[in-house]
Amino acid sequence: MSVIRKTRVLFATRFAEMAEYRAEVIIWMLSGTISLVMMLVWMAQAANAPGGQINGYDASQFATYFLSVWLVGQLLVVWVGWELDFMIRQGTLSPKLLRPMDPMWVEYAAHVAERFVRIGPMLVLLVIFAALSGASFTREWWAYPVTLGLCILGFTCRFLYEYTLGLLAFWTESSTSFSEVAWLLYAALGGLFAPLTFYPQWVQDIAIWTPFPYMLGLPAQVLAGKATLAQAGSGALILFSWVVLFWFARLLVWRLGLRKYGAVGA
Amino acid sequence: MTTSTPDASVHVRDLKKQYAVHEKEPGFMGSLRSFVSRKTKYVEAVGGVSFDLAPGEVVGFLGPNGAGKTTTLKMLSGLLHPSGGEARIAGFEPRKRETAFLKQITLVMGQKQQLIWDLPALDSFLVNQAIYEIPDAQYHATMREFTEVLSLDGILKKQVRKLSLGERMKCELAAALLHRPRVLFLDEPTIGLDVNMQEAVRAFIRDYNERYGATVILTSHYMADVTALAQRILVIDSGQLVFDGDLARLAEQGKGGGKTVKLKLREAVSAAQLAPYGGDVKVDGLSVELTVPRSEVSARAARLLADLDVADLTVEDPPIEAVMAELFGATAKVEKEAVSG
Repeated sequence: MSVIRKTRVLFATRFAEMAEYRAEVIIWMLSGTISLVMMLVWMAQAANAPGGQINGYDASQFATYFLSVWLVGQLLVVWVGWELDFMIRQGTLSPKLLRPMDPMWVEYAAHVAERFVRIGPMLVLLVIFAALSGASFTREWWAYPVTLGLCILGFTCRFLYEYTLGLLAFWTESSTSFSEVAWLLYAALGGLFAPLTFYPQWVQDIAIWTPFPYMLGLPAQVLAGKATLAQAGSGALILFSWVVLFWFARLLVWRLGLRKYGAVGA
Repeated sequence: MTTSTPDASVHVRDLKKQYAVHEKEPGFMGSLRSFVSRKTKYVEAVGGVSFDLAPGEVVGFLGPNGAGKTTTLKMLSGLLHPSGGEARIAGFEPRKRETAFLKQITLVMGQKQQLIWDLPALDSFLVNQAIYEIPDAQYHATMREFTEVLSLDGILKKQVRKLSLGERMKCELAAALLHRPRVLFLDEPTIGLDVNMQEAVRAFIRDYNERYGATVILTSHYMADVTALAQRILVIDSGQLVFDGDLARLAEQGKGGGKTVKLKLREAVSAAQLAPYGGDVKVDGLSVELTVPRSEVSARAARLLADLDVADLTVEDPPIEAVMAELFGATAKVEKEAVSG
């Protein structure tokens, strides 16, 4: 009962807080459009290519893929590493440590609540971008709940590793540089710049041992109708394994980090 | 009504905290040198502090800036892991940060702590109610009580960022005490507040202590806080406990154990004329102040009354501020002598 109450109250207050920043959320959403820029580049390349295709993708399929990547990317946005870096260095983590609840849950609730502020304008933009680019998503009904499931797993995975990286501020002057590197890997191996099959084979061989292709590229391929239910299922299992791994990694780094905490300032 | 329980006690033994501090020379070259090889210095913020507090006791924790007060409070509340020694608060070891322990304590530091900046304070209270698992009946009773004592009416539904400093502090206090903690660590709870607000906060803390039998450790630069609330004083300087006793005994340590005699004269006299009666003579027109040894107060006062045309005479303990200044000055002097010797 108390877990339900805590979840409800945390979600409600964080939603109210995020709603205060609704204009900023929309602007922030518009700033995260690298995949749409990549869409324009690849669509132009495909239009000029012999047969109007590159690696089996025509302009419309590029539009569908990159718009799907954009959509999934919007649901996977995580800023907790920056929050933790600030909280640890400025000491504002202290009041959160005094409460009988892991501060991670408050941050998780804030991220989930933000998705609900984001989703309305996001769907409007999706319809506009799809109409402009000629993207057409799969008509398989199962693809949509499966994409949502993969997004929840992918978001949790990203949240946990970003949280763990943010905790490195217990030891370093600033942990945000680690988050920058993590973003590059996430974007490159996730398929933000191009579908993973466009990369050299050795890069693809490395990428499948990371969580990134399953977080971003796989749900986008499901939406685009280029991945099967079986591929989505095995991807979900791999993502779940990464979630478990990052859960324990976070716990370990958290416990070690608290011993180093200086509780400066506040 | 006091409802103290044996659990609200505080036991501290040889508590220590050492910090690693990175040092860098100023300027570009300093930055370059620091980039290649960074100098690390270890600073002892708290160097072995021991004391016990009984349940319901209110203690003033005093000391100059950087003495180790806040570091000690942070260790006692579980924010910092001690480098040595041990502490038991309400039967718990703070560094383990067990849920049952966190429900027994609170730490108030500054005015931007618990409250969600962009929402009304009431939302933060609801979050605390859920996190601390406060039953509805207790939550509403506590809110009614706090609203009355702290005059929270009309400010609970305003955005926190739009509250005045004093209003915010009152809401911070209410948020910090909503779960009715048994042990309170209050670090400068009245800093930056005007005189009326300081008095309101003091009255609230006094009322909370009496009502719930809470143990309170209070640090403050305002001696009025300490004299109004604390029965016992702990003085820390350079990480060491240099005094543990009641206010009266602390006052006795001031002015070399002397008392302050204040006179209103009908005829002006010079400082030189007053020198035989006591030390630290201050003359301001017809008002005179001098320090006399505690054991000779009666005799000196009688001589002053006999020898001078006195309109009024009062005998006081030296102000606590003067005692503190003297105490810290003495510590600093001893340290200086030890270094030069």
